[in-house]
Amino acid sequence: MRAVYGIVAREFVRFLRQRGRVLASIGRPFVWLVFAGAGFATVFAGRSEIDYRAYMAPGLLGMVVMFGSLLAALSTVTDREAGVLRMMLVAPIRRSTVAFGKALGATLLGTAQAVVVAGLLLPLVHLRPTLGGALLGLVAVVFAGLAMGTLGLVLAASIRSIENFAGVMNFVVFPMLFLSGALYPVRHLGPVLRAAVYANPLAYGVDLLKHALLDAWAGAGYGGELPVSLDCAALALFAGIGLAVAAPLLGREGGVTRTAFRERR
Amino acid sequence: MTAAAIDARGLGKDFGAIRALDGLDLEIQDGEFFGLLGPNGAGKTTTVHLLATLLAPSRGTARVAGHDVVRQGLAVRRSIGLVFQETTLDRDLTVAENLRFAARLWSLPDGVARPRIDALVRQFELLDRRDDPVRTLSGGMRRAADIARGILHEPRILFLDEPTAGLDPRARRLLWERIRGLRAASGLTVLLTTHYVEEAEPCDRVAVLDHGRLAALGTPAELKRAAGVGSLEEVYLAHTGRRLAETDGA
Repeated sequence: MRAVYGIVAREFVRFLRQRGRVLASIGRPFVWLVFAGAGFATVFAGRSEIDYRAYMAPGLLGMVVMFGSLLAALSTVTDREAGVLRMMLVAPIRRSTVAFGKALGATLLGTAQAVVVAGLLLPLVHLRPTLGGALLGLVAVVFAGLAMGTLGLVLAASIRSIENFAGVMNFVVFPMLFLSGALYPVRHLGPVLRAAVYANPLAYGVDLLKHALLDAWAGAGYGGELPVSLDCAALALFAGIGLAVAAPLLGREGGVTRTAFRERR
Repeated sequence: MTAAAIDARGLGKDFGAIRALDGLDLEIQDGEFFGLLGPNGAGKTTTVHLLATLLAPSRGTARVAGHDVVRQGLAVRRSIGLVFQETTLDRDLTVAENLRFAARLWSLPDGVARPRIDALVRQFELLDRRDDPVRTLSGGMRRAADIARGILHEPRILFLDEPTAGLDPRARRLLWERIRGLRAASGLTVLLTTHYVEEAEPCDRVAVLDHGRLAALGTPAELKRAAGVGSLEEVYLAHTGRRLAETDGA
């Protein structure tokens, strides 16, 4: 559909025009690799069969997808504030098409960023995935991007203004990152935190990425911890729920008159 | 008999306890230039948003271009263009990128969209700014680009919601010349909302809204005659000034 293509194309044009956003998305995982990686690597040194920086790689790629897709979807908040969302809502397309276009744009942006980062990061940590591994990794990134993108849409439809953004970062992004298995294996966590991990869509994306990239260390307990099919199903479920919830919420934004009315009275 | 461009029957909208629009009956003919006047909060924008399917009515029905606004939202949106009070353009994209984005949202093939965008950019005197970000444009130019966006898909009915708000007199005049040109060229139906009463003088018919109700409806000449006054502004004040007079007297 042309409308979906238009919405996706706009996301890419906007992203590439914002130099800072491009640099941050490419640079962020390397900052983590250097600072967190160097620190944790010394703690783990000599104790494990895997270099900690290689162990981090799937988690860092998951992080790239999370930031890439979540932030792209959260741009719906600025679309609403700037009025652009209304241009989409008055077009002869369904609310669900708008939601799908935004989610797809977010997914593809997150995927593109993860692919670029993977190209730079994996040689650096001496990970050489097999063709099958690379393909599974791509699937993981796309599915995780879709789950993150739809989550971002739901958040964007629920928060009133961009000022609430810091709250989203503190109470959504960071817990999601730490409870994803990106930095340490999930199996060492207690039952409560483990339950939180399994409620976290990013955890399934990271797990799938571990299957894709760390399969050689699966025997030592550093590979994916859940079955591949469960990871995929969980991510698809999160994405489906996200889309179903976000579409009517976005439509409600057509009620722009409502807030305008309240301000006037 | 041709179907009316817009046909609202008992159309109403509540926001919580507030009755924003209270039983509006309105029929606008094809090709008509219709003005909707009223003070802020009278229900003008609510009316436009109901007719454009952006809001769901609490009561009543409306047909736009023959399609029901509740059950045939897509068909309604396909027939209309809407220029909002505030700009809907993406400030970070260029004029041409914004128009291309709109063309895709309206599913226009590139081969159709490209010549139209070229023609509109020329017509609205944006040719030398077409590749500049919208953020760098003056208010008048932005409005021109907004209107170009609103008519890009060649709608049958164009809604203009306070199109001249915030424009300087020259930009306002230019905008009205353009709208006159559009109507002459295409027989476009235009529904204009405004509280600059003098802008409604060239309208075929005018309605005055007050407190979500229709206070007056007719040609400018009829309304002046009925109220026994010489200008549309006095008509407007006669129908909406009551409230001010009451509060002043109390």
